[in-house]
Amino acid sequence: MLLALGACDGGEQTASLEGSYTVYRHSMDGAPSNLDPARASNIYANFLVVNLYDTLYRYKYLARPYELEPNLAEHLPQVSVDGLTYTIRIKPGVHFIDDPVFREGKGRPVSARDFVYSIKRHFDPETRAEGAWLWQNRIVGLDEWKENGADYKQEVTGLRALDDRTIQIQLIAPYPQLLHTLTQGFSAIVPPEAVAFYGKELAVHPVGSGPYRLLSFNTASAVMVRNTGFRQEPFSLKNEGFNPALQSMYGLEHLEGLLPPFMDRIEVEFIAEDAARWNAFIAGELDFVKAPVSQFDQVLQSRDPPMLKPALADDFHFQASLESGFVHTDFNMDDQRIGYHPDPGQNARNKALRCAITKAFDWEKRNEIFYYGMGQVFAGIIPPVAPEFDPDQDKTAISRDLITARHLLRSHGWNAGNLPDLEIGFTSSVTERQMFEQFRSFMADIGYPRDKIHPLTFATYGDYAQAYLNREVMLMTIGWTMDYPDAENTIQLFYGPNASPGSNTANYNNEEFNRLYQASSTMSSSPIRTTMYRKMNRIVIEDCVTISGISRKLILLWNRDLAMLPDRSFLGGHFFRFAGRGEIKTKNKARR
Amino acid sequence: MKSPRTLTLSTVFASDPFEPGPKGSRAWYKLRQDKAGLFGLAIVAIFLVLTLGVFFGWLGQGWSVAGGGRWEPVSVDHWLGTNLLGQDIFQRAVFSLRTAFEIGLVVSLLSTLLGALLGVLAGWYNGEPGRTWVDGGILWFMGVLDSIPFYLFVAAVAYALQGWPWAMHIAMVATFWTTTGRLIRAEAMRIKSREFVLSARAIGLPTRLILLRHVLPNTLHILLVQATIAFVAAIKTEVILSFLGLGVQDSVSWGLMLAESTQEVLAGHFNNFLAASLMLFMLLLGFNLLADALQDAFDPRQASL
Amino acid sequence: MLRKIIHGLALILGVTFISFLLMVWFGPDQTYTLIGKHATASQIAEVRHQLGYDQPFTRRYLDYLVELFTLDLGASNSSGEQVSSILKRTLPISLALMLPGFIIGNLLGIVLGLVAAFRRGTWIDRLITGLSVTGMSISFLIIIIALQVLLSTPYGFNLFPVRGWRVDNLSSYLTYVTVPTLSLIMVTLGYNTRFYRAVFVEESSREHIRTARAFGASPATLMGRHVLKNSLVAVSTRIMFSIPLVVVSGSLLIETYFGIPGIGKVSFDAITSGDQPILKAVVGLTAVMFVLIQIVADFVYRLVDPRIA
Repeated sequence: MLLALGACDGGEQTASLEGSYTVYRHSMDGAPSNLDPARASNIYANFLVVNLYDTLYRYKYLARPYELEPNLAEHLPQVSVDGLTYTIRIKPGVHFIDDPVFREGKGRPVSARDFVYSIKRHFDPETRAEGAWLWQNRIVGLDEWKENGADYKQEVTGLRALDDRTIQIQLIAPYPQLLHTLTQGFSAIVPPEAVAFYGKELAVHPVGSGPYRLLSFNTASAVMVRNTGFRQEPFSLKNEGFNPALQSMYGLEHLEGLLPPFMDRIEVEFIAEDAARWNAFIAGELDFVKAPVSQFDQVLQSRDPPMLKPALADDFHFQASLESGFVHTDFNMDDQRIGYHPDPGQNARNKALRCAITKAFDWEKRNEIFYYGMGQVFAGIIPPVAPEFDPDQDKTAISRDLITARHLLRSHGWNAGNLPDLEIGFTSSVTERQMFEQFRSFMADIGYPRDKIHPLTFATYGDYAQAYLNREVMLMTIGWTMDYPDAENTIQLFYGPNASPGSNTANYNNEEFNRLYQASSTMSSSPIRTTMYRKMNRIVIEDCVTISGISRKLILLWNRDLAMLPDRSFLGGHFFRFAGRGEIKTKNKARR
Repeated sequence: MKSPRTLTLSTVFASDPFEPGPKGSRAWYKLRQDKAGLFGLAIVAIFLVLTLGVFFGWLGQGWSVAGGGRWEPVSVDHWLGTNLLGQDIFQRAVFSLRTAFEIGLVVSLLSTLLGALLGVLAGWYNGEPGRTWVDGGILWFMGVLDSIPFYLFVAAVAYALQGWPWAMHIAMVATFWTTTGRLIRAEAMRIKSREFVLSARAIGLPTRLILLRHVLPNTLHILLVQATIAFVAAIKTEVILSFLGLGVQDSVSWGLMLAESTQEVLAGHFNNFLAASLMLFMLLLGFNLLADALQDAFDPRQASL
Repeated sequence: MLRKIIHGLALILGVTFISFLLMVWFGPDQTYTLIGKHATASQIAEVRHQLGYDQPFTRRYLDYLVELFTLDLGASNSSGEQVSSILKRTLPISLALMLPGFIIGNLLGIVLGLVAAFRRGTWIDRLITGLSVTGMSISFLIIIIALQVLLSTPYGFNLFPVRGWRVDNLSSYLTYVTVPTLSLIMVTLGYNTRFYRAVFVEESSREHIRTARAFGASPATLMGRHVLKNSLVAVSTRIMFSIPLVVVSGSLLIETYFGIPGIGKVSFDAITSGDQPILKAVVGLTAVMFVLIQIVADFVYRLVDPRIA
């Protein structure tokens, strides 16, 4: 019945193979917060938003490392010599989907003014937007516009529509990451009519010009159907950066020249419980899954290189890649029991204590127990997925060394009697609690008394965030997902002026580091900038500010009869439009 | 799930006259005849001994030591195997007894006490000219507490007081006392019209003394049964709360073990689940049988049939 | 009648006050989940202001009462969806999920209770009582986990989906509802049976039943016509007053565990994210439901038992 219903929606386009109705059933390990682009703050929301709305840019589907590609924009921007003025033309003839918010219910053409409006929305307190930080203190006049009462009739000097199709952005200082921000769901283009019409409910009534439009959405699932009016741009392997050596097994070739989006309908299930998600996938209820760590045993034949068990390889494609982020445990430098202390002697003792704790942390065991030994442990704050990561880095900071740790404690006068009580903050969940217990057992190995290490649990993430943003948590574990492929995004986590309630939750403040960060922040990618990044990395390691870190390995599996290459990192939801059915006749099991 | 027995007990206790002395010994006699009840008592006694062992540091002290590998099978070193972190499941299951008894005792004592006090007050002032508002107020309060969805209420209290180790206890006491309160109120209303109370009032004994000396002691049989029931309810609730992350914070409990096991059973590791659920089942069974036996022993109608 | 309504209003005031105090005033602060990655102090203040957290207690409580009485429940802070449309979407799911288990659990309980009461003291009675005590001693959580492993995984029979709720016709409804229904029956049956047995025992020991028995009325007539009929007040009270709790409290655990987007899951998510408009609506409406049931209960009593009028 549903099939028949959907077929009326998307029948006329040519992309669906063999004339049949195609459905792709995706799964996510969490649910979107909100489908309003200005509030699409988690990766799940971002995944859907970039399909329901248009962004100016995106990343190429297949090219790695990631390369920018115009999406709604016609070309890459014209940038003035001083790097301050960007001029962007948008494609002609792009329409919003049909919706009652428009006159006679017909979607009108997307204009440059809609982009200007959509960015301004982030600076309008009414929106309660969560992406303003991407452009705060970056664009000429935008912050003042907010201070002056966020009146949309007022023009912002640095953010203007020169005509229907031309956008001009003027920056206060060079901002090399600007184009990356324009690939994100936060920058997606919303028509003002929809905001006026739906108000807060825009969050459940998306009106965009993306490849899909929303059919239904609740806490358990979302269903999207093809936007039949989506612009017709034939799929080109070459243009998307196809690498035949690495990507030929996924059956993408036969999609060449067809018009994305290839699927008539996309069903996304939000399943937070690992085992449930996995079982639903194995039972054939889903086409795609991120394999839970608890199942790695059953999934993988070998860990390095990652290989699927033969029984699974017959039915599924798979890919093992690192997450675009990392997990680290910060010391609160604002806490005199463990961080900075006005008395230089005590300051040095605190540092020795931090270093001893870091040295006693057993990354290998943490990785083995909680990540099946498949995470990548690295020293410092530039994760492996960042282009500036140093593959030959010094690993002493992440090698457990109990002798040095005990020596550090003893030589600085720490003993079981005078060690401070440690409070470890986390949100109350089984895994976090187990990680805490493991941490406590690591510390027991350097003689840290068990009853001096306390859990500081929070029932909700919000309460936890409130506590650490108010600098009330002594040690806190943070998972950071990178917003764009540039290590600036993780290095800023330790920049002094970003201290809480900003993203520098460690409240670290080091003059040399701050100076380097300021200098590098206006620089485009270059070997010199990379050297500066790595220098900052060393400073953080030497000050023992954070126990860091690990990037988790993601094992993605999908049905063999699909022709696609999913992505959980920077490309994210943009890959949905390229997900296609494989050639039915070539579905042969003997390929591996 | 909540207060399912209200009506049973009130119907059971709301009749025949009650004579403290001989009745008490008759109850004890009947309890000794009740095989299921004795079985329950034996279970409770064994668990109590084990709990004392934990309390005095002879048992289960290594519950947090990660001394083994991940998910080790049953062995001489680890009688019930190990969990994800390599902690000994047997030690954890045994140590959880202490958690269970602590929660059960605190909650059942406090909720019974509160229910007894407010119930007696309400029953006493029921129909007293000028003082019925006490009864009305207490009844209203019970009605209010009973109208809030149980888990939402307990969760909310646990949040409001979060970080405080007694949050969970308070939440349970606040909801459990109402059942006892209603029963005691009914009983107090009955006792109030009895000869010995009337004469105590006639000679001008202060109300406080009458309540403490004559009314409350005559409700002890209800309180005993109610305390056992509250004990069971407290342990069951702890399991759910710990599963939801609102329960025990810096210790181990069967609820936490079950929460851990929800992630393990679907990957084929059952030790945590079996250990926690069997212990939990045995303890609850023991208390339920005991509660039944107590109820029967005090049930006046049983004798007449 | 008027007294009933005044009584009901007092109850609603009490419930809303206590739940407001706990869930809203002391409840989780959602500001910090809504500020994004790089917050500034002024942004935090801005969001707090928009959520109304900076208003004084009385003001916020009165606003809440007005919202409740005008049924203008606002929109979820997280998703922006109207609370009323959230309720409209989730309530039918919870009812569809919980009702079969609730009905079967009570019917079975009544039947078993009747049998046990009628055969009081025999081995059948002892068996039924023993089984119900055993049932009462198993934690809800254990039942759910065990049934899931047994029925929905390769370690057991693997007959049903592990979780979720993708219902569009009768057969999909049956596949998704079976395991939760079985769990619900197992967890309530022990309590139900014991309760009903006690009621029936009480009723059958009354004078007129004994007389009827002495005059040779057949056992079935006795149980059916006299005992069951006279116990209807107790039975209907129990059933009516369980409804609000079953719909919200009972479904909270089942829906959270099985990932079913009903009202219990929505309330639980609202607790963990601090989404107060939803919490306020759920608690307020449950209280109203209780009061309505108390009023309706009066009529029902008169209907089933003319003695009461």
